[in-house]
Amino acid sequence: MNLEFLYLMVMLSVFLLAHLLLRQPVSLSMVLGAVAASLVSGHGIPLRHLFEGTFTYIDTILIISTAMLFMTAIQESGALAAMNAAIVTRFHKYPAIMLILLMFTIMFPGMITGSSTAAVLTAGAIVAPVLTMIGIPKAKAGAIIAIGAIMGMAAPPVNIPAMLIAGGVDMPYIGFEGPLLLISVVCAVFTVLFLGLKHCKKLDLQALQAQLDLEAGRKYGLKLYLPIALLALLLVMSNAFPTWFPQLSTPLIFLICAGAATLTGRRFPVWEKSLSAMDTTIPVLSKLMGVGMFIQVLTLTGARGWIVVSCLSLPQVLLYAAIAIIMPAFGAISSYGAASVMGVPFLLALLYTGDQITIAALLAFICCLGDLMPPTALAGNYSAQIVGLPYRPVLRQCAIPFLVCITLALVYLQFTGALAFLTP
Amino acid sequence: MFKKIPSHILSAAALCLLAVCAVVVLAREFTGMWQDEPIYPGPGVSAVEKLSDYFPRLKDSRGNTDIYVLDSGKPGASMLVLGGTHPNEPAGFIAALSLVERCQPREGILYVIPRANRSAFTCTDPQEAAPMYFTIETAGGPRVFRFGSRATNPIDQWPDREVYVHASSGQTLSGMETRNLNRAYPGLKNGNFTEQIAFGIASLIREKDIDITIDLHEASPEYPTINALVSHERAMDVAAWAVMYMQMEGMQISLEVSPRNLRGLSHRELGDHTDTLAVLFESANASQGRLRGPMSEELIVKGVDPYYTLADSYGKLYVSYPASGISLSERVARHLCGIEQVAVSYNESMYPKGQVDLGQLPGYSQLMSEGIGAFLAPPREL
Repeated sequence: MNLEFLYLMVMLSVFLLAHLLLRQPVSLSMVLGAVAASLVSGHGIPLRHLFEGTFTYIDTILIISTAMLFMTAIQESGALAAMNAAIVTRFHKYPAIMLILLMFTIMFPGMITGSSTAAVLTAGAIVAPVLTMIGIPKAKAGAIIAIGAIMGMAAPPVNIPAMLIAGGVDMPYIGFEGPLLLISVVCAVFTVLFLGLKHCKKLDLQALQAQLDLEAGRKYGLKLYLPIALLALLLVMSNAFPTWFPQLSTPLIFLICAGAATLTGRRFPVWEKSLSAMDTTIPVLSKLMGVGMFIQVLTLTGARGWIVVSCLSLPQVLLYAAIAIIMPAFGAISSYGAASVMGVPFLLALLYTGDQITIAALLAFICCLGDLMPPTALAGNYSAQIVGLPYRPVLRQCAIPFLVCITLALVYLQFTGALAFLTP
Repeated sequence: MFKKIPSHILSAAALCLLAVCAVVVLAREFTGMWQDEPIYPGPGVSAVEKLSDYFPRLKDSRGNTDIYVLDSGKPGASMLVLGGTHPNEPAGFIAALSLVERCQPREGILYVIPRANRSAFTCTDPQEAAPMYFTIETAGGPRVFRFGSRATNPIDQWPDREVYVHASSGQTLSGMETRNLNRAYPGLKNGNFTEQIAFGIASLIREKDIDITIDLHEASPEYPTINALVSHERAMDVAAWAVMYMQMEGMQISLEVSPRNLRGLSHRELGDHTDTLAVLFESANASQGRLRGPMSEELIVKGVDPYYTLADSYGKLYVSYPASGISLSERVARHLCGIEQVAVSYNESMYPKGQVDLGQLPGYSQLMSEGIGAFLAPPREL
């Protein structure tokens, strides 16, 4: 038996054993899997590699932590409730348009930051109460937010997996807007209408108004929305005018806006609420660290190379199957990792089958879907948390839109030559 | 009298203590990489300057790297060789280092910066599981070198932005490229740390009016630009002849023109923003590739990797990858031969500033048969 395959099996077996039988948390189970493979492959307990692996996600961890503080702050200040009331009152007569607009709202932070987590924790948190209020079941609302955030991450102008894939073959990140916009908008509109429309065809404004919190909006007025407006302004300015606008970085922007939210609405115990926000996010942060260790040992033992070469050895038909399965599955570790490790070899394998930019864009789109994959499932986990459900029911609702997205991407991959008009 | 301490507090305290111990042990291991490995200047070295001599803001920072000046004493053209732009591409660093230790120019002047991004030598890349060091056997014993990162150490420049915007063109790249020296040219005086290093190198080129700049790199074997000389359009005639000479020596090498729309790279920006003829060499390095098997020091030095050989048999690579591997000696030999042929080609062209003669360098076949260790200085106390 191939040794690297054996190491991979050891990693996965120990992980599953620890998680499912011994009921250890995912993060700890991943560490145990990594240590076991390292021991079997003769590397002992690779303290340095375990430590170094955790640093893969240090920036993501900071973004998540500060975004959680921001979300808590706008929730407690009353800004969320006021915004929900405004959206429902204005758009209740046109549910399909309202749903599509809400989907674009969810997507927007992802389009600007390239991060589905940022989209879920900001716009997702704002839109979630509206979705449930208009009658969409919580699990479906979570699925809409998760997929919407991923579509935002995939949509232009910022698609980080596409940048990683392009960078891997020295292709400038130019001309990706057309193909990325086409597939992400089509999939986003389908998802929100498929999951949401039948639940909100007839909206009764009077019944809805009973559920709305109108008090904060009346008391604080437009001032209440300042932190959200400031967030949008800072994110847009720092990305649109990078050469002259101060580069504050996303975590600092979230902190500034969270600070602003403590001054513009209802007063709340900041320290206490911040601690509780961090408490809820620590399990996901620890998962990220476990995953970092896992992938580092995967590389150390050569199991990563075995996976990539095995995929590349497949005949053309199975290659598409591998793209559809392995790339999102690798997203369980990291969608950026999937783009860098798998996306580049797959692009090289498909390079002469059509338009290269469109192929790279579609592979990046498929990588983004990896943010739905457990155990990390950044988009899925946080959207489930926002709607107050465990991840599994939300994941179930994501299944059909997910399959539609993958199928559409595969169909587009067959016709990249014909879609070349979308690129310059 | 004393309250019993709850068990969860005790276990948390024990775990914290364990974490502190691990951090102390690992901090020593990581900071060990902050020490530059010795370079033994050979008889050709007439002076050792600092990059801060050309851009003082780099003084007292890890961006302040050594510039070895090999002045023949005979007026002629000037050449700059950059190694260690990406310290996870060791052939570039070792080739530049061997010039410092072995080269004795006969005409013109040679500048060598073996550690172009000195900061990137002080850390490794997360997820790559690379060894921190690799060893080359020399006639006088083993010499240990660092296998660093593709990018500046985050201790020197952090955090990365989500998207890196190249200053002079506005081109956007993944945020990971924010600390990549070879996406930062021509540099920026008030830019980030990496852009300042690039600015320092561009300032050296301008101030010394350097005629030829060669940036030494490696790439993974699945990368399309491999075993290649990438040339700015102004350097194409020199590069074309150099490639032809290298092919005559039996090397598989291609000539690529620097893409106009791929910005921040040395061959594009130094060619556009200075008068130098800018070229870049790439050789095939399995230890930085995505398809590689187990990561080890041996893979770096010997380059034997069954997965790359397998991928080659599937036709998935841009370079032939034999079972015997592509050794560091072979990759360094390609670089040294390439540098020599660029000089020869320049000398035969119609440039007015005279010639650059690098003297007697070990030949490609000699390096292949004896190994690079035979041509490095033996380790000694400095």
